[in-house]
Amino acid sequence: MLEDKLLVWKFNRGSKDALRHIYEKYKDDLVTLAAALLTDVSSAEDVVHDVFVCFIRHSEKFRLTGTLKGYLATCVANNARNRNKARQKHTSYGLDEADVVSANSNSPNATAIFGEELRQLGLALAQLPYEQREVLILHLYSGMRFRAIAGQQGVSINTVQGRYRYAVDKLRSMLNGEVRK
Amino acid sequence: MRPTDNINRLIKKLKLKASASLDRRVHNDIDIALAESEKTESAHSKPNIWRIVMKNPVVKIAVAAAVVLVCLAGLHLWTGTKSGVALADVLAKVEQVQAFMYKMKTVMTGAMPGIPSMNREMDCTITTSNTYGTRWDITMTDPNGHGDKITEQFYVLPNRKVQIQIMPEQKKYMQMEFDGNCSTKQSSDDMLAKMKKQNNDPREMIKQIMNCKYTDLGRSEIDGIKVEGFRMTDPAFGGGVMEDANIVLWVDAEKWLPVRMEMDFKMGKQIQISSVIYDCQWDVSVDANEFEPIIPEGFTSIKAPSSTEDGAIEGLKSFADILGHYPKKLNIMDLAQELAAFLQEFAATDINTGEALQLSEKIKAAFKLKDEEELKELDKLPEEEKIKKIMEMLPEEEKVKINKIMEKKKIMEKIGDMTRQIQSLGRFYMTLVQEKKEPAYYGESVTPADTDKVLLRWKTSDSEYRVIFGDLHAETVTPEKLAELEATLPK
Repeated sequence: MLEDKLLVWKFNRGSKDALRHIYEKYKDDLVTLAAALLTDVSSAEDVVHDVFVCFIRHSEKFRLTGTLKGYLATCVANNARNRNKARQKHTSYGLDEADVVSANSNSPNATAIFGEELRQLGLALAQLPYEQREVLILHLYSGMRFRAIAGQQGVSINTVQGRYRYAVDKLRSMLNGEVRK
Repeated sequence: MRPTDNINRLIKKLKLKASASLDRRVHNDIDIALAESEKTESAHSKPNIWRIVMKNPVVKIAVAAAVVLVCLAGLHLWTGTKSGVALADVLAKVEQVQAFMYKMKTVMTGAMPGIPSMNREMDCTITTSNTYGTRWDITMTDPNGHGDKITEQFYVLPNRKVQIQIMPEQKKYMQMEFDGNCSTKQSSDDMLAKMKKQNNDPREMIKQIMNCKYTDLGRSEIDGIKVEGFRMTDPAFGGGVMEDANIVLWVDAEKWLPVRMEMDFKMGKQIQISSVIYDCQWDVSVDANEFEPIIPEGFTSIKAPSSTEDGAIEGLKSFADILGHYPKKLNIMDLAQELAAFLQEFAATDINTGEALQLSEKIKAAFKLKDEEELKELDKLPEEEKIKKIMEMLPEEEKVKINKIMEKKKIMEKIGDMTRQIQSLGRFYMTLVQEKKEPAYYGESVTPADTDKVLLRWKTSDSEYRVIFGDLHAETVTPEKLAELEATLPK
């Protein structure tokens, strides 16, 4: 979008207003994305904060090649992935994809962060393995293509598509009343 | 519904709001980071690297035309509805005339954001024939130059239902058909009547004065002719577009034909316009060939601004695309000012002169160029080829700078296109005001995301209003429905 290009152009030249405008424009979407990935609002806000701190530092060299929203979403996904890895390491959970339960699925946030209407979805998402959840959210919420997600996750496109199918199947069954309490 | 559709729908409904705490943290970091960068920023003066590699006249046109041309577009709209008496004899006499000529000199002075100061002059010779139409031969200060003069020919041809503007210096022309090009779907005859008003036809000016309050100045003498003067300072003159208007008409006391007309008024407080009509010749003989526009071979056509609903929507869309929001107000001067202020800010954040000169030297060295002539040769290359060559030869740091310039160029090209669209928008709104169609505009509170909020509305009949919504779709609604819609707008 041209407005984003203009904002980036101003941002490259140190415009505070442009940076604030970018933040105000995308903050809610980015917090939602990070919260859906990490199933935790507090960590989600930390991710968005980290992303913007990094963004500020690279103001002069930053070059926009795709969309600004896509770029920021990728930054959030990368940061959330790193955060999730660190958390898994810390809590010594197993890495078998089929058995991994989200590190913080016990968090009270996990079931309630998206409000009552989406409570069940929040709970179901929290029970998906991180990689599957990431594929699902990046594809459906951020509109990212499987190929791009494969690039981010460092796996083949077939693996990404497989993770997506698994995620959809599990969510479907959980939303059909099989959500573990 | 497929399961994936259902999940897709649910996931798209996910929505969280960033907390006030996050807002504070990020804004605080922005303040700190940028305060540090400001400390180290050099105090070099501003632009301009453009001329070195990518000179683009659109840039200048965008800034100057946005203000000057929009102002001029509003200069010649005259309208009125009441009837007068004292000048009726003059009007009756003038309306019997089949063809006439007069000269007009206009001086526009003032300063606005984006343009340091203006002192623009326009000299016109106007020939009007009831049979063939009207021809303007114009010499004016180039809005993009340093006092240079440019010429234009402008024709209004009722028989062909067309208006043609030829710009020899730019090798361009603009053609506007009358049919279907009006705000409220009037007939082409209505449009022609409006064109008369828009082009300073003395007959329309006299009618306009008659429609307002005026005073008789008594007798005087101009170039040996005994004249009677009439002064008009009614704020209603020009449909309220002109401020502090002071209009004086001098009429030949024996022949009851206009001899001279002086107009002084302001637009938006900043711009002062003084115009004099003189050397009037009534009942002259004219030749059909004088009203035959000759468009030289190789001249390219440019799209004309159009005072239509579609043109207004295009203007609103274009403005929002570039600035990220709708204009705050739609009257010509506020619109021009808002755009000019944005352009000023945009232009002020260029690569500084020192860097530009260094880059120029590096480009010269890279191509082993010895003088400006060779640099000019480089400038003649097709844009893409030129950029490609420069990019190949330069180190990474300079590539970044070139990329920034290219980004700016793309944006400026869009702004160049936007000028016409903004003119259309301003003219459309001004027409609504002057035609007393009860326009109301809510650009300060309505955004492109407000699909069901009234952005602009105007009356089309006693039982209907036309509404352009925040997402720029348009509907015709009843007064009751409009009241309901407007009740939802922020107070």
